[in-house]
Amino acid sequence: MSERVGIAELRIARAPEVLKAYGLGSCLAIALYDAGTRVGGLVHSLLPTRRPGDAPGDATKYVDAAIRQMVEELAAAGADPARLQAKIAGGANMFETDYVTLMHSIGVRNARSARETLLELGIPLAGEEVGGNRGRTVAFDLATGHLLVYCARENRTTTL
Amino acid sequence: MPFHDLTDVQLDALKEVSNIGMGHAATALSQMIGQRIVLRVPRVSITEISKVPEHLGGAETLMVGVTLQILGDARGSIMLLFPQESAHRLLCCLLQREERTLVMTELTVSALKEVGNILASAYLSAIGNLLHKTLIPSVPLLSYDMAGAVVDYVLIDLSQTGSLALMVETDFSGDDQGSRQIRGHFFLMPDPQTLDIFLRVVAGEP
Repeated sequence: MSERVGIAELRIARAPEVLKAYGLGSCLAIALYDAGTRVGGLVHSLLPTRRPGDAPGDATKYVDAAIRQMVEELAAAGADPARLQAKIAGGANMFETDYVTLMHSIGVRNARSARETLLELGIPLAGEEVGGNRGRTVAFDLATGHLLVYCARENRTTTL
Repeated sequence: MPFHDLTDVQLDALKEVSNIGMGHAATALSQMIGQRIVLRVPRVSITEISKVPEHLGGAETLMVGVTLQILGDARGSIMLLFPQESAHRLLCCLLQREERTLVMTELTVSALKEVGNILASAYLSAIGNLLHKTLIPSVPLLSYDMAGAVVDYVLIDLSQTGSLALMVETDFSGDDQGSRQIRGHFFLMPDPQTLDIFLRVVAGEP
């Protein structure tokens, strides 16, 4: 069985479910997994960090806030926070330019924000497929904890 | 004004403004490729940003996207999307030769960006005249990949101001209804202050 995780959505599931996020550009997919209970979550976030002035709610839009919310929801679903491992994919720069603007580095900043937040929470990063200028689709298999990353243009699948 | 407060009348007004802009863009594009192109605005809609890729045939469909920033008296962005086959046909017209498949080279990328540039410039100058505003398009950027991935860049820009987007959808079609049809979508995403300016002018307010 597979469930779709849209933009700014967060899903928690357990084996044997598969969570999928389609067509990630500079967005970042973050997968957290507890191999013991085989409970995990996938979030599809847009922006690196939540700032004080940002509207309440919508935590899943922001990489840092989404990770924290996912950890809480996983704990409530029976996962052991101490056993969580993370995998990330996405964070591309789809429109390449000769000059650099703040918007164009958003993919890179999304990935960096994820690494920093995970480090703060003491969650090991078990794999990443980020950057470049390719779109990605991810499938997170809760039975194995594998994150499959598919690039349509290169017709290539990587397993994290 | 938040997008979701727009009335049907206001949406109609925006559609009308866009139809005028698209008329100019169609003329420019027809002259460029030497084939009559008709542009229609079938829908102006307000959508939850997360639903945009689904409207375009699925997040994994390969598309060519050309994006430009709107600069000047009003701000926002424009995204032009062509399904793979349409981009291919458009290139055959532009380069005056049959290409077997869609391959991104310096020449093809530049030709497609030029189409984006012409459409956006014609559209913005028509709207600008109507609104008495100076609207300038930035340098176009191009991406050829999954629809979801191409679009999320614009969504990110929008999501910083809210999670709803105003989309002016546009169909391009050639004169002959046969195999040479070219389809595309034109999304105009004014930032909220710019939308206010548009609406005030459309409603005849100072």
